[in-house]
Amino acid sequence: MTARGLRAIAVAGLLLLAGCATPPPVTDKDAYQEYVAENDPVEPLNRAVFAFNRALDEGLFQPAARAYRDVVPLWFRQRIGSAIDNLRAPVIFMNDILQGEFDRAMTTFVRFTVNSTLGLAGLNDVARDSGLEMHDEDFGQTLAVWGSEPGPYLMLPVLGPSNPRDVVGTVVDFLADPFNAWAQNTGREELSYARTGVAALHARAGLLDLTDDLEKNSIDLYAATRSLYRQTRANAISNGNVTGPDVSSAPADFPELGDTKEISGKP
Amino acid sequence: MKRTVRALVAIVCIAFAPVAVAGELEDGANAFIRALEQEAISSLTDPAKERPARVQAFRQLFDQKFAVQAIGRWVLGRNWRRATEEEQTEFLKLFEDLMVAMYVDRFENYAGEKLDILKTTPVDENRATVHTEIVRPEGVDAKPISVLWRVGRQDDIYKVLDVVVEGASMSITLQKEFASIVRNTGSVAGLIEELRKKTAELNPS
Repeated sequence: MTARGLRAIAVAGLLLLAGCATPPPVTDKDAYQEYVAENDPVEPLNRAVFAFNRALDEGLFQPAARAYRDVVPLWFRQRIGSAIDNLRAPVIFMNDILQGEFDRAMTTFVRFTVNSTLGLAGLNDVARDSGLEMHDEDFGQTLAVWGSEPGPYLMLPVLGPSNPRDVVGTVVDFLADPFNAWAQNTGREELSYARTGVAALHARAGLLDLTDDLEKNSIDLYAATRSLYRQTRANAISNGNVTGPDVSSAPADFPELGDTKEISGKP
Repeated sequence: MKRTVRALVAIVCIAFAPVAVAGELEDGANAFIRALEQEAISSLTDPAKERPARVQAFRQLFDQKFAVQAIGRWVLGRNWRRATEEEQTEFLKLFEDLMVAMYVDRFENYAGEKLDILKTTPVDENRATVHTEIVRPEGVDAKPISVLWRVGRQDDIYKVLDVVVEGASMSITLQKEFASIVRNTGSVAGLIEELRKKTAELNPS
């Protein structure tokens, strides 16, 4: 092991230590429970990475995404979106199968076949016009369906919100992707990078309305993002059937009706 | 004959009474969401009014249709009980300002787009979830947006308790965000200070 390697490990260790949140004392039961439920033991480090990501986003990704949205005509963006979705189909199909969702696997299979041929290499989502809607799946979701816990919240540099389960998922999906494998094996790595870049740009442009709303209305953007990430993932894992304890625990009582009658009685 | 028919009708009515009452909550919730959509659009797109007047009209509508206080209390969670009475009052006032500013934008962005009610499911005898989809006009992502409206009823008055967009609950997100601010500033007073800054920035007056 070289001196430089040792130094790098020492620095990483120090960073991690500095990045650990101090848990509240176990004696403060409510605060301690809240800390455990939040499951974000490296919050200070995560927040630092989040600040870095935001700077990178504001300086680079957002302007690029806005330019893409404003300059590239809708028709072209729709073709790009369809092509990106179509390239994802094999990975979605694999995860449909691994989750035992055979009807959905069939949908993905037919969509891929039809769109790759009649849809001209995926540039047109002709399958949707005949009622076969696209759905997404990834290996992070498959692991969740298999019963794996997400683990602590992680803010990855550049890539954004995640957790150990979804990190494993992202890596597995990347390795399992036939397009990437083909590009690697035939010395066309740049195609793989180009695809990732275009997909990221297209996805970022699609999120502009949401992130503009959040930037404007949030006070603690980091905490709002953390909550939204978890809720969105839970929704994706349940394939849109949010019935989990989270939703049913939303405001239950209606304590103010005495008050509200007065409010609604206002001129 | 007439009498028999009337008796039959009476029996049928009694037999189905519980069902009718259960369906009543769903119908009421549906009608409530439809009315909310119509009134929100007309208050926000009234060409006869300037924007401040439109926002004012929307605020009145919002107070009528959203259980702002119930949501505010729930969102503050355990910190509600730790807050003083003055803090609670101040918090609810600022919370209403924040919600109005947030929802003016959201309703304005989607005004005029089609809101389809898919189904309505009861949660308990006084709460229901109205499942809707906002159908986007021809866009890049033509997929409709899923919006669930959690509606509560008391004495025939309906109010929105939560809005869940694509699986993300507004109330849960705000609750987590506020809890984090209280942790980081150390007190409810700290949260109120942050809310004051934010609402001043959103509603310059």
